Amino acid sequence: MSPLVGPLGWGIFLGFFVIFVFLGFYGARWRRGDLSQLHEWALAGRRLGTFLVWFLVGADLYTAYTFIAVPSGVFASGALYFFAVPYVATTFAVASVTMPVLWRWSRLRNYVTAADFVQDRFNSKLLAGFMAATGIVAEFPYIALQIVGMQAVLTIMLLGIVKNIKLVSDLALTIAFIILAAFTYTSGLRGATLTAVFKDALVFLGVIAILAAAPFAISGAFSTAFKAATLAASTTKGLLASGVDFLKTPFAAAYTTLWVGSALALYLYPHAVNGALSAESDKKLALSTALLPIYGVALALLAMYGILVYGDTSAMKILSLFPPSARGSLVIPTLAVTTLPEWLAALALLGVFVGGLVPAAIMAMSQANLLVRNLVKPLYPGITPQGETRVAKWASVIFKFLALGFVFIVPATYAIWLQLLGGIIITQTLPSVFLGLVTDRLDKYSLMVGWAVGLGLGVYLFVTPHIPAAFSPLYPIAGHLVYIAVIALAVNLLIVLVGTGIAMAIRHTR
Amino acid sequence: MTTETTERVATWRKVVAGVLFAIPWIFYLLLPLYNTAQPGLGGVPFFYWFQTLWLVVSSILFIIAVFILYPGRR
Repeated sequence: MSPLVGPLGWGIFLGFFVIFVFLGFYGARWRRGDLSQLHEWALAGRRLGTFLVWFLVGADLYTAYTFIAVPSGVFASGALYFFAVPYVATTFAVASVTMPVLWRWSRLRNYVTAADFVQDRFNSKLLAGFMAATGIVAEFPYIALQIVGMQAVLTIMLLGIVKNIKLVSDLALTIAFIILAAFTYTSGLRGATLTAVFKDALVFLGVIAILAAAPFAISGAFSTAFKAATLAASTTKGLLASGVDFLKTPFAAAYTTLWVGSALALYLYPHAVNGALSAESDKKLALSTALLPIYGVALALLAMYGILVYGDTSAMKILSLFPPSARGSLVIPTLAVTTLPEWLAALALLGVFVGGLVPAAIMAMSQANLLVRNLVKPLYPGITPQGETRVAKWASVIFKFLALGFVFIVPATYAIWLQLLGGIIITQTLPSVFLGLVTDRLDKYSLMVGWAVGLGLGVYLFVTPHIPAAFSPLYPIAGHLVYIAVIALAVNLLIVLVGTGIAMAIRHTR
Repeated sequence: MTTETTERVATWRKVVAGVLFAIPWIFYLLLPLYNTAQPGLGGVPFFYWFQTLWLVVSSILFIIAVFILYPGRR
């Protein structure tokens, strides 16, 4: 078939990518600070105001999960994956309450990670080490998901141009990651902040352009699309099984527990904490967080494009070239090329591409902070601040390439599953971090046991064969499908509370 | 570790802000309220557009809550 993206599109894509790279490197000179200090490199000197935090955290949290995994889920399973909308509406309520408190502690005591706080709060380097290790592990599938999203963009752009798409896209991804690693190393969060503003502009442009172009490219736009999707669901068994126009009743518990669990988990992720701590004041942080559900409107539209694509016959023809399991990830890149003029499509595709790169940079950076602060430093207490930053910079490079290697080796078809396993794992740090912000009376050994049992139970339920399927994040309880993260968290919390009660009783009787 | 970072904020402010932060949680938990196709908006079923509209509602509630929690500071 003929290429979907011609020389004009490629020229614009590459030209604007050069601007992206320039901004990334320019970050080192922007609001100059001593980049050999960890809080200068990793938190941009804690000097970002309301709007920059909004753009940075927006770009940090609305990732390939938003652009690729959610539309993919809606495309394949239907209404169930719209759980992402209540998820992003409510997660920022959690963040507006918890993050300013963590910010005040961090400013006072020069914390860079949530584990720094846990270490002081419960006077336990071991507990902090567990939290840090959990964060580092949970972040890998999230970075992997970003790479899967970038692969989807390259697949559509290379279609009809080269024979071996996999080889060329792997090569292109490697080059993109070398550039990303280089500017993250030199500019830290400052580079990420400038590129975040660039990413957000392209994403909004792309989302609004598709919305505006849809009625011209698809006669009847959403009406046609929802009818076509209903027809497709009735003819193909298992397609859009959770409902098209609304959610089918058996999926109600799954829907609610998925958004509740995800909303509780998001700000336990190291990259979310990293973004929040870069704010200039607690009020500015709270205000920009309160404004972030607005960004979610873009997510909601992208999710609906998972249905819209059913009304676009030319897009469906392109998707039919791929095996059914690979189609979901390609929904947004395909819609961009079929509904938009080539130059605009190129910008939208670049938006999705750098939409994966920016969060990947912040994720690897936050993993590096945890490694140096909460795993290396307790073992080598003599490390200098400069030495700390040097280790963090190199660790951020290594973590990026570990994730890239992982994606090259393991073919990721169900992108969203990877991220949901990470969600199950990271949720188990909630008692130590969020409850720790409220009270210091929890017993540290109970926190450790609760964490360990929650983690073990979560992973076990995920991998064990069950209904609906092994490696599904949902598990049946009394006939209702429930998100495993919520089950494991409930057990975890129970252990923490009962254990703390017992510990208090013992101390009392002594 | 003492709680030296806890702000001295009037209790009524905490309560009102807490209620505002909780409203979207309560709304989205009441799934039967919005799990229906009609009335549609531009061909989009109620289930989709109403939940999307509540993103904007949530933001407005949160902003009011933040101004109540942080009176008169930069």
